[in-house]
Amino acid sequence: MAVASLPHGSSAGHDGVDQLYADTRALRLQGMLLFLVSDCILFSSFIFAYLYMRNSGQGWPPAGISRLDVAFASVNSVVLFGSGATMHYALENWKHNNFGRYALFMLATIVLGIGFLSGQAYEYTNLIFKEHVTWAGSGIFGASFFTLTGMHGFHVSVGVLYLIILFLQSVHGVYTKDKYFGLTAGTLYWHFVDVIWVVLFSIFYLI
Amino acid sequence: MSATAVHAGGIADHIHPEPQGFVRRYIFSIDHKIIGIQYLITGFVFLILAGMLAEVIRTQLLHANGGFVSPDVYNEVYSMHGSAMVWLVIIPLITGGFGNVIMPLQIGARDVAFPWLNMISFWIFPVAGLMLFSSFLIGAPVAGWTEYPPMSLQAGPGTSMWAAAIFLIGVSSTLTGINFVVTMFQMRAPGMTWTRMPLFCWAQLATAPLLMIATTALAAALAALFIERQFGVPFYDPTKGGSPVMWQHMFWFYSHPAVYIMVLPAFGMISEIIPTFARKPIFGYKLIAFSSMAIALAGFMVWAHHMFTSGLAPYLQLPFMIITFIIAIPTGVKIFSWTATLWGGKIHFTTSMLFAVGFVALFTLGGITGIFLAAVPFDLHVHGTYFVVAHFHYVLVGGSLMGVFAGTYFYFPKMSGRLMNETLGKWHFWLFFIGFNGTFLPQHWLGMLGMPRRVPEYDPQFQFWNDFSSISSYVMTFSILLFFINVLWSLRNGKKSGPNPWGGRTLDWQIPSPPHYYNFKNIPTVYGLPYDFGQPLPYKGLEEELTDSPVHVGAHY
Repeated sequence: MAVASLPHGSSAGHDGVDQLYADTRALRLQGMLLFLVSDCILFSSFIFAYLYMRNSGQGWPPAGISRLDVAFASVNSVVLFGSGATMHYALENWKHNNFGRYALFMLATIVLGIGFLSGQAYEYTNLIFKEHVTWAGSGIFGASFFTLTGMHGFHVSVGVLYLIILFLQSVHGVYTKDKYFGLTAGTLYWHFVDVIWVVLFSIFYLI
Repeated sequence: MSATAVHAGGIADHIHPEPQGFVRRYIFSIDHKIIGIQYLITGFVFLILAGMLAEVIRTQLLHANGGFVSPDVYNEVYSMHGSAMVWLVIIPLITGGFGNVIMPLQIGARDVAFPWLNMISFWIFPVAGLMLFSSFLIGAPVAGWTEYPPMSLQAGPGTSMWAAAIFLIGVSSTLTGINFVVTMFQMRAPGMTWTRMPLFCWAQLATAPLLMIATTALAAALAALFIERQFGVPFYDPTKGGSPVMWQHMFWFYSHPAVYIMVLPAFGMISEIIPTFARKPIFGYKLIAFSSMAIALAGFMVWAHHMFTSGLAPYLQLPFMIITFIIAIPTGVKIFSWTATLWGGKIHFTTSMLFAVGFVALFTLGGITGIFLAAVPFDLHVHGTYFVVAHFHYVLVGGSLMGVFAGTYFYFPKMSGRLMNETLGKWHFWLFFIGFNGTFLPQHWLGMLGMPRRVPEYDPQFQFWNDFSSISSYVMTFSILLFFINVLWSLRNGKKSGPNPWGGRTLDWQIPSPPHYYNFKNIPTVYGLPYDFGQPLPYKGLEEELTDSPVHVGAHY
């Protein structure tokens, strides 16, 4: 089965947890993955709509709209991808019972996530007030750009809140060295948000 | 991972304390059987409402000049009839309803994987249903159940309500799909390999990814429609750079798989009912199981066959036409397998079996007109006529709804412990069968003659067959009234059924009717297929199920 090869998926009872926890964890892991799949379809549909409109023969970017600022968005992307790396190290340090470094990396992830959101807010402000590109007033360009990046920004915001809650839980001893499914789920979600950004960055800024 | 999905000491050995109090047991229950019955009751209530809308349509069409309701109201009525029947009746009945009641019992599980999520999925559904119907108060949607822009952009505020309600139903469906997939992957009884799983579960397994994936695509389309209507953000309005055809792509990318959401679980129930009443092993178990998956997969690749007249590029028409034809192959495999199961069987014509056999006949007719419609030249001729209406009512009423009735007569004893009345049931079947064919068969030739759908008035030359259709529809509605009388009567007065009135061999029939809240005292071990009639049962560990022995309740966690 596909899930068996994932970290701590179905290796029930072999890593120091009781069978009930192992079973529940296997269910929740698969449920989380399927949730991310369906969430991915939500993004894919809007991405399809954007690409469909983009290629419908009206030229791109539409008349009167300049290309998006790749340089700033690249820096902002590095911030988000960096948070993916720190999230990875946070989970690894948790598994190795290294709470101090776990806390450091976790807080770094949260700060980088907030940094990315601030960058996005700056970019939105620039677009709306300097270049007068708006959600409702700039045709399919504004509609698809603000809807897709807005959806992604919403996911990042939810992710930041999620990570803060996870961090507080771990400080209060909700998770142990062996029982930490919540942290795994948070990591999966955070990586998912990263991967979506790779696609959005490519289709809005690069092509 | 081994074939046995459960381990000693894990969730399979874990029984929660019995829920106490009326509210926890019957309202906000987390028991999959209660939730399934809640889905069935709610779905049947919406069936009555949406059926009344159908009768408004047929009454309007009694006269060529209409006159029963105004054209504006008529638009609202057929739009709401379609939306309600698809999203509030068939999909909830057949996935949330029967899927919840039967699937965990058949795989030998104590509940679904996420019981709380299941409760939330259910409670979204009646709320969304009420939202959908309350859009009548503020100007219901008028552009049909497909709500094509630009009409849906220009219609009254009810269309936004419609989009929000369907979005919520979509959330409910998606959560149910996730729940079912995880349940079937992780919680099958020991020894129940994939190729020993009952065919109803296979059908739910094929449906669940459609619920998860296709429904989310619809959610995106609905969100965009809502945003465009409320905030003026251009997605579909061509005057602002949007594209109405994009809505059609996004809508049908969901709504074509949705027709398989509506029929695959019915296929599953028919695959349980036919071998049980033919007293014969099912013919082609693996073919039936895998053809469900093939239909689900191919169902994602044919959506544009709804759009042959929408300016689809000619080089795209051919592949969509051919893939649509290909779907007929796995469907035909099922039809032939059921026929071969009946062949030489000792057939018991109970009401449930009558509906199952009627299903096979009527679904085949609907499938054949589907092949007609998939052919581009023919489709260009009949697109948007009553031929299309006849086609999809044959697959959705003659198929899905007949499947729901077959399943209700079959599983009613499991849910209530009582049998439904067979005499009333047979009246129900024959009046329904005659009324159904009388209603929709003439619509084929009305469509061929060119009568467009969704019109409140029509050319007087179509009057006779419209009257024939309307009068037959009253017979069909009367038969459904008999069905509801039967359900209510049988709940109090039906004969006690015992655990296994039909001699079924799947796990659900080996435990008391209605089952205990924990389903199984001990999770059984499975040694073979459930369809080998005449052989000993392929299960071990069921000895205590029908006795009064106590059950060990574990700690709550």
